[in-house]
Amino acid sequence: MEYTVGNIAPIFLSPVIAFVINAFFGRKLPRQGDWLATLSIFISFIFSARIFGDFVFGTFATDFFIHKTFTWFDLSHGANIWKVDMGIYIDNMAAIMLLMVSGVAFLIHLFSTWYMDHDEKHGRFFVFLPLFTSAMLGLVLSDNLFSLFIFWEIMGFCSYSLIGIYNKKEAAGDASLKAFMTTRVGDVFLLLGMVAIWMVIGSVAYVDIYAAIAEGKFAGQTVIGISLATFAGLCIFLGGMGKSAQFPLHVWLPDAMMGPTPGSALIHAATMVAAGVYLSLRMYPLMVLGDLTWFIAVIGAITAFGAATIALVQTDIKAVLAFSTISQLGYMMIGVGVGSYNAAFMHLITHAIFKACLFLSAGSVIHSVHEQEMPKLGGLRKYLPYTHFAMMCCTLAIAGIPFFSGFVSKDRILGDALYFGFIAGQNPLLAIVPILGFAGAGLTAFYMFRMMFLTFYGENRMGHHDSHGDEHAHGDHHHGHDIHHEHLDARSNVPLLILSVFTLGVWFAGSLTGQGIVKVFGEKTEWFKILVEAPKVERFVKHPREAFGSTDSRVKAELPKAKYDHQSGYAGPNPDDHKIHSAHVVGAWMSIVIAFLGVFIAFLMYIKKSIKPLASMFPGYTETLKNKYYFDNLYVDVIIKKGLLGLNRFLSWFDMGIFDRFAVDGWAAVNRVLFKASKWFDNVVVDAIGVDGTGVAVNLFNLVLRIVQSGKIQFYFIMLIVVLASYIWTVNI
Amino acid sequence: MNGILNWILWLPIIGMVGIILTPKAKENVIRMMTLVTTSITLILSILLYLKFDTSTADMQFVTKLPWISQFHINYFIGIDGITMLMTFLNALLFFICTLSSWTVTKNIKAYFALLLMLQSTVFGVFFSLDFFLFYVYWEVMLLPMFFLIGIWGGENREYAAIKFFLYTFFGSIFMLVGIIALYYASGKGVDSFNILAHQGGKFTELQVNVFGKSFSFEHLFFWFMFLGFAIKVPVFPFHTWLPHAHVQAPTAVSVILAGVLLKMGTYGFLRIAFPIFPQAAVEYSTIIAVLGLISVIYGAFCAMAQDDVKKLIAYSSVSHMGFVMLGLSAMTTQGMNGAVLQMFNHGTSTAMMFLLIGILYERSHHRWIVKPDGSKGYGGLSTKLPKYTTVFIIGMFASLGLPGLSGFISEALIFLGIYEKFTTITVIAVVGLLIGAAYLLWMFKRMFFGEVNPETEDYEDMNAREVFYMIPLCICVIVFGIFPSPLLNVMKASVGQLVDLLSKY
Repeated sequence: MEYTVGNIAPIFLSPVIAFVINAFFGRKLPRQGDWLATLSIFISFIFSARIFGDFVFGTFATDFFIHKTFTWFDLSHGANIWKVDMGIYIDNMAAIMLLMVSGVAFLIHLFSTWYMDHDEKHGRFFVFLPLFTSAMLGLVLSDNLFSLFIFWEIMGFCSYSLIGIYNKKEAAGDASLKAFMTTRVGDVFLLLGMVAIWMVIGSVAYVDIYAAIAEGKFAGQTVIGISLATFAGLCIFLGGMGKSAQFPLHVWLPDAMMGPTPGSALIHAATMVAAGVYLSLRMYPLMVLGDLTWFIAVIGAITAFGAATIALVQTDIKAVLAFSTISQLGYMMIGVGVGSYNAAFMHLITHAIFKACLFLSAGSVIHSVHEQEMPKLGGLRKYLPYTHFAMMCCTLAIAGIPFFSGFVSKDRILGDALYFGFIAGQNPLLAIVPILGFAGAGLTAFYMFRMMFLTFYGENRMGHHDSHGDEHAHGDHHHGHDIHHEHLDARSNVPLLILSVFTLGVWFAGSLTGQGIVKVFGEKTEWFKILVEAPKVERFVKHPREAFGSTDSRVKAELPKAKYDHQSGYAGPNPDDHKIHSAHVVGAWMSIVIAFLGVFIAFLMYIKKSIKPLASMFPGYTETLKNKYYFDNLYVDVIIKKGLLGLNRFLSWFDMGIFDRFAVDGWAAVNRVLFKASKWFDNVVVDAIGVDGTGVAVNLFNLVLRIVQSGKIQFYFIMLIVVLASYIWTVNI
Repeated sequence: MNGILNWILWLPIIGMVGIILTPKAKENVIRMMTLVTTSITLILSILLYLKFDTSTADMQFVTKLPWISQFHINYFIGIDGITMLMTFLNALLFFICTLSSWTVTKNIKAYFALLLMLQSTVFGVFFSLDFFLFYVYWEVMLLPMFFLIGIWGGENREYAAIKFFLYTFFGSIFMLVGIIALYYASGKGVDSFNILAHQGGKFTELQVNVFGKSFSFEHLFFWFMFLGFAIKVPVFPFHTWLPHAHVQAPTAVSVILAGVLLKMGTYGFLRIAFPIFPQAAVEYSTIIAVLGLISVIYGAFCAMAQDDVKKLIAYSSVSHMGFVMLGLSAMTTQGMNGAVLQMFNHGTSTAMMFLLIGILYERSHHRWIVKPDGSKGYGGLSTKLPKYTTVFIIGMFASLGLPGLSGFISEALIFLGIYEKFTTITVIAVVGLLIGAAYLLWMFKRMFFGEVNPETEDYEDMNAREVFYMIPLCICVIVFGIFPSPLLNVMKASVGQLVDLLSKY
């Protein structure tokens, strides 16, 4: 079947329609239209699944893609041609992404219909949720940076609305403002980078950017003293840093859990934060050209490790997950930076699935026991068996335990990082990337199992908690503390169970050493590796944009037999297969050992209680961690409150108190002097001399002034005289 | 056919005369007369849009009648793509302002008569193709504005009105000198007051003697014109009249001031300063860009410090009009189109903001985000006023340039336009986008989030009339954010002509 706009657009449009209907008529619909939103996402899922099926099981060449464009608006006049094209671009990566986004979003919608039941914001929630999903799907379908940016910002708006949905809470307002503004810092840079590319190479479509890179159009171009590729790449990456919560723009994500938990699952775990990584992957050739990969790797490593350390001391179950999200996004960025393109994308997918499941499970816990502080939980395994099962699968996945999806993807990233840091022979300081990466992996296993043990194991501590007024204002208004046994329900725990099935590594055809022991799809061993690879920019040169017109570049070809470029980086360090292989084997064993060590320590600490909790060992450092390394204080108290607001107040005072008062109104005083002078001149000089005729103008002038009786009117008339005088000079043409 | 434009121009005057003849006591008759007049004007301007030929940059619907024939002064009006948009904006905003002024009680007869007079004069400024006529409308426009601010304004209205009047007058004196100089320079002939005839760089070689020194006519009088228009925009450092005028003006006048009157300044650049003095414009484009940049950043910073909502939006106008100046200084297809589009989009989004503040003011009788004594002026409004909040969010996000709403496309085009010519300025100007979001969202947070302030407890949500007049603006902001083509197609031929002209220098 041919691809037409008609069978691609519904992916994006059906949630948009649901948004419009819910926004206007949601209140009149049964259940405030939540079923409509869920149904619309299911439609997206069906259409996405079809595309996914074609791309994975079809007979397309691995580099097959669909590219359709239309003109959004046209500013051409005469010979001056300039128009803005929008389009759809689907390659293997987009096809996988579409399936993941629509699938996860559907399950989250389904879960939300249960979770948000009887919530006062039920209707509002189901207005923004489909809009958000459609924006994410639109972003994935985009063929250029401009439409990507549009959807990017709409997602920012949706997340602003969802974080601040409990509008009676001051904290919700702060959190939504913080989320929007922090990501906006990255966004304006993204806009800048996009503008730079657009005005130099004439287009921001991915295919054109790739072609321009291959043709060397970026060579020799500079922007404010640095090369265009570096400038644009850095700006675009900064955009990605904002959305994907990379250090130092990570501060918004933990606060973003102010919204309802399923919202967090969709926005701040599975999809939106992945947009930054997705963008970095799309622009990977530009990052390589701009020599930014090491920077991306270092930022990723700092984020991965730093967020993991903060997660160690969190007591709120959602906060642990929020910091683990930041940390995992750091791993994806490490993957991008070290040239592990395929694994970075795979981690994006695997993480989206297990993190959505984790957040939904946390939501299930919170909804069931009305408590999200882990020290007050415990022993919930008995009451919430399904939630426990799902959450355990995901925890195993995120901790990097073999045979689970997180292991498959993270192991490859770490293996490549090992090669990148120690073997590839770059700057020895870059060894920090694998060191932080492996350390963070150990911490991840520890804090995730700490969360599991505190929540589901040990004694139930629900009965005897003392204070209820913790500083984290809860996102969910529920009272009462009786725990009910969980029943299998289509809306509450079936989504969790479906997601937990996909935490298994086999789906991603990984293996212990990344060598492809598990064969799932017969011929297509390691389908993920074959399908997803860094764009080979050269091939886009042969197909200039016009040649595509608005049709598919439908190339039917045999799939290449499991032959893939291991490093798969464009112009990256020349890969030495043997060394990479060794790095992967070593990396795999190291991650296994580290992961089990983390789990074991958590076991000793929280189940056996044979080791004292960390907090008592390093009280000072714990305090720092609890304050999240004081970044919030630095940004809000110092930079914004002291710096920015101080500057604003000063400028505002200067504008009205100094500039307007003296430079503008001050003319009145000047004028008063002139007025007196002219009066004196009139009375003394003119009258004394007795030439009455020359005084007429001044007399008239005084008369007018006496009538108007305003200090400032005088100024105007003086100016009038001055101007007219100068005019008399000027007309000598 | 050409009659439509004359009808649009004179209908408000007819309405004004009708109101003057109506007894003062018949308040509802006066209101209805104004409403009928403005709605017919709006319908006519939509008809005008439908009949407008987008393929040509020439003037359309031209009427040319001799007026003062000794000086070759004509009643000469017509529109091109740029003024088409301004016409529609003007008609729309006056229609909405009439509805929003329904609650005015003080001296209704004079109020609505002046409002209609203002509408006609604003149309006149946009339609005039004769310099003398243009100047007359430009100056007469000050009169209703002066009284509307000075009589129906806030506490400090007289100061604000006089300041507005003098500042603008100060600029227009320079413009007048420029007009007279052009009259002489063009040989006092048939076309000596014809704006169109002066266009196209006819004065590049001319020299003038001032104080015994020889100056380039073009470079000298570009600055005379510049001063006249820059004060109107207003560009930093001529902006300080604007916060005073806005804070003191009644709601409808604020809407008109920010929505249309400021655009007269940038329109002056597009119609007069740039096409008549293209060489100087290109030469001094860096200065214009730098002033635009300062307006963007400085306006945004000042806006963030304000505790008065209306003052905040007034400063945001300085910032947004700075973007228009940036787009103009680019002199590229993208920048110029972006600038004109921004003129329209700022007109709709800022009108929304001022109307919304007016609606709130009618309930609270103050505009403090934080009162001078440090207590909250509002708080928790989103709980009490859901409809109001929804409309506020639409207006606010349009104003801060959220993609999908109108402000984004114009700002993006402006950035694309200036990038090549002024890369460094582009890099700095993005800070304006950032701060622009910050002050609006921070204001929103302080006013709408949190516990309901007891003082706001008895506020009513928007009534049917208020919802009704906000709907057209909401539609404009959303529809033109997704489909900008209806606007861009109208303007692009006219803008393109100017870009082509400027590209020769």
